[in-house]
Amino acid sequence: MSKFISPRTERPILRWTLIAITFAFMAVMLFAPLIIVFFEALRNGAVAAVESLGNPEAAAAIKLTLIVAACAVPLNAVFGVAAAWFITKFDFRGKAFLITLIDLPFSISPVVAGLCIVLTFGSATMVGGWLTDNGYPIVFALPGIILASMFVTFPFVARELIPVMIEQGRAEEEAALTLGASGWRVFFTVTLPNIRWALLYGVLLCNARAMGEFGAVAIVSGKIRGQTATMPITIEMLYQEYLSIAAFSLAAVLALLALVTLLLKTALELRFADQLAATHRA
Amino acid sequence: MHIEIDEISKQFGTTAALSPVSLAIPSGALVALLGPSGSGKTTLLRILGGLEFPTAGRVLFDGADATNLTVQERRAGFVFQSYALFRHMTVFDNIAYGLRARPRSERPASAEIARRVTKLLDLIQLPDIGARYPSQLSGGQRQRVALARALAIEPRMLLLDEPFGALDAKVRKELRQGLRDIHDTTGLTTVFVTHDQDEAMELADLVVVMSMGKIEQVGKPADIRAKPATPFVREFIGA
Amino acid sequence: MGRPLVHRSPIPGLGISAGITLTMLSIVVILPIGALLLKGASAGFVTLWSEVNTPRIWGSLWLSFRLSFLAALFNLVFGVLLAWVLVRYHFVGRRILDAAVDLPFALPTAVAGIALTALYAPNGAFGSIAKELGFKIAYTPLGIFLALVFVGLPFVTRTVQPVIAEIEAEVEEVSATLGASRLYTIIHVILPMLTPAALTGFALSLARAVGEYGSVIFIAGNIPFKTEIAPLLIVIKLEEFNYVGATAIGLTMLAISFVMLLVINAIQILSRRRIGYV
Repeated sequence: MSKFISPRTERPILRWTLIAITFAFMAVMLFAPLIIVFFEALRNGAVAAVESLGNPEAAAAIKLTLIVAACAVPLNAVFGVAAAWFITKFDFRGKAFLITLIDLPFSISPVVAGLCIVLTFGSATMVGGWLTDNGYPIVFALPGIILASMFVTFPFVARELIPVMIEQGRAEEEAALTLGASGWRVFFTVTLPNIRWALLYGVLLCNARAMGEFGAVAIVSGKIRGQTATMPITIEMLYQEYLSIAAFSLAAVLALLALVTLLLKTALELRFADQLAATHRA
Repeated sequence: MHIEIDEISKQFGTTAALSPVSLAIPSGALVALLGPSGSGKTTLLRILGGLEFPTAGRVLFDGADATNLTVQERRAGFVFQSYALFRHMTVFDNIAYGLRARPRSERPASAEIARRVTKLLDLIQLPDIGARYPSQLSGGQRQRVALARALAIEPRMLLLDEPFGALDAKVRKELRQGLRDIHDTTGLTTVFVTHDQDEAMELADLVVVMSMGKIEQVGKPADIRAKPATPFVREFIGA
Repeated sequence: MGRPLVHRSPIPGLGISAGITLTMLSIVVILPIGALLLKGASAGFVTLWSEVNTPRIWGSLWLSFRLSFLAALFNLVFGVLLAWVLVRYHFVGRRILDAAVDLPFALPTAVAGIALTALYAPNGAFGSIAKELGFKIAYTPLGIFLALVFVGLPFVTRTVQPVIAEIEAEVEEVSATLGASRLYTIIHVILPMLTPAALTGFALSLARAVGEYGSVIFIAGNIPFKTEIAPLLIVIKLEEFNYVGATAIGLTMLAISFVMLLVINAIQILSRRRIGYV
């Protein structure tokens, strides 16, 4: 009996070797970097770590990052829902091209993204110059940071919603329309309940990336202390000034955010598997 | 090859898929395992092929204990209901697969492999499809390719799980005769699983009626029709 | 023109959804990328070429693409292995490992950057071991490689996992009944089935690595000709207000990435067509 090995698996020795390699690999590559963040932050104790977060620079950075996320994430969520509705509820020419354009930010370096925004809205450009002259600077100011964060997270929500809405088809919406519901009513009472968990999933990923974006923001923000320095930018500044505890404490806050994101994401995958895109079903 | 099933039972967790069953399959016979779903017929076939291990009991091939032989060692040509053709390989490569998978010392030369594959394509009467991919074939063609692939390894027996299950009625009739012909040409001991009593009665030399993990009756189609051994058999064959 | 631009549909909201989609896409994506292309076009090929054609820039491009390719290759191998173990084997802690695969997606790159540097610097936990063995990790190409492996880690695993889960049991079983050893089955049946998805993951991982900035600059050391990545040179050019120079490097990176992705796509289409779902 014990000799029998199913033709669909490997010998136990090989199996356990591969599992051991997986554990070792993930411990070194993933868990060690995560642990070292908290280790370095708490090097002089929890009090020192918390105190370092209280200094005006860190506090301003946290506030700015929250503002940026609070603007960029809802805007991208609105875009994602609109784009998914447009793409899945209507048939039109150039749909594949449109999807490619929406996905484009994923294949562009954040640094190039930042460069693009500087070239469009910088004070030396036509559009940017005019806006700056009228008192609305974009680059080296809050709007630029929001724009950069939106660029790098642009596809997240749309990408989650499109496959889910394709799978669900149009029948339910059409049924609601024949029953006399208005467009908005159909959206809020039929479509939204069907896509809410996928929407939340996309928003979650979008938010994590928006709060953590570094490359694009580094370029468009001008890194003005206390004004345009987001949390990641401030981490870099503190780190380069050898303020290790402060840098890692701020980093630990973002690492905690990452952990919460992973936790919620996994919970969504387990709990609402049937309402997420097929690739996320555990 | 003569197959003997000696008091085989199989538990999946707490449910018994097979109560101890015994059965002797004479060499060269064409046998149908007939029964409704859940009767244990597929489990029995998979135990013969070495894909499942019995909880208790023995399998004997030509009188030798084969219970502990691995799938590879059994050399049973197995045809799945879904055919399980390799989608990324041509028909030719599918059929040649078993020969190429042999250890170097036993592997035929590639010219010999080509010769055998060509011969098998002739046998299944599809001589021109070697270069095609499975996705380019009809259901009936796929079934025959799966059969040819199983025959390529010069199996000691042929095991087929619902070989006609995924086909429409017309193709099914044609392929029944095809299987009969191949069986008669090769003389291989052949066991197939079916839930279709017409298929079993028309095609098999010996029909094994199963229900709920037990063998209800073994006999020639005419005998089973004439004298159903149990009420279940009577009802199932609709006599 | 036979086909209308938009088919008529009973579903409302065409105007508003199309309007929001196209307006936002234009402002956030198309306009900025257009500005980059326009800047390049107005500078002219000769100027762009003279900006890029310096040993320092070629050196950084070569470093970026070479290390990104190696990191993506490494992730291809380990990504498939990880996907296999996480889908096929059941062991304590599997769910946690599965969730943790996405850590590089969730962890901000700057955090990853300083964390990896702290680990691999000569006085760090892993760096000090390397030091005793006589080599350096941080501030060398090896350090950059490790950072790129980190950021690209989830791509292959996440694209391959669903494919492994969908492999029909019969395909593996039939291979065994035909006499193939487990190893033969893996090489000739399973891996070819995973190839298209694995290549997608490889391409995504490569694209991400080429453009990666935050997690690399801390561990790279940024020594010209040695550990200076291409995105960093864009930042340097911008700090010098050399917009044409930055544009030139940006366009070169886009062009090389585009060609690479084209090649990978071609391979993918070929392997996918053979399997039968185009």
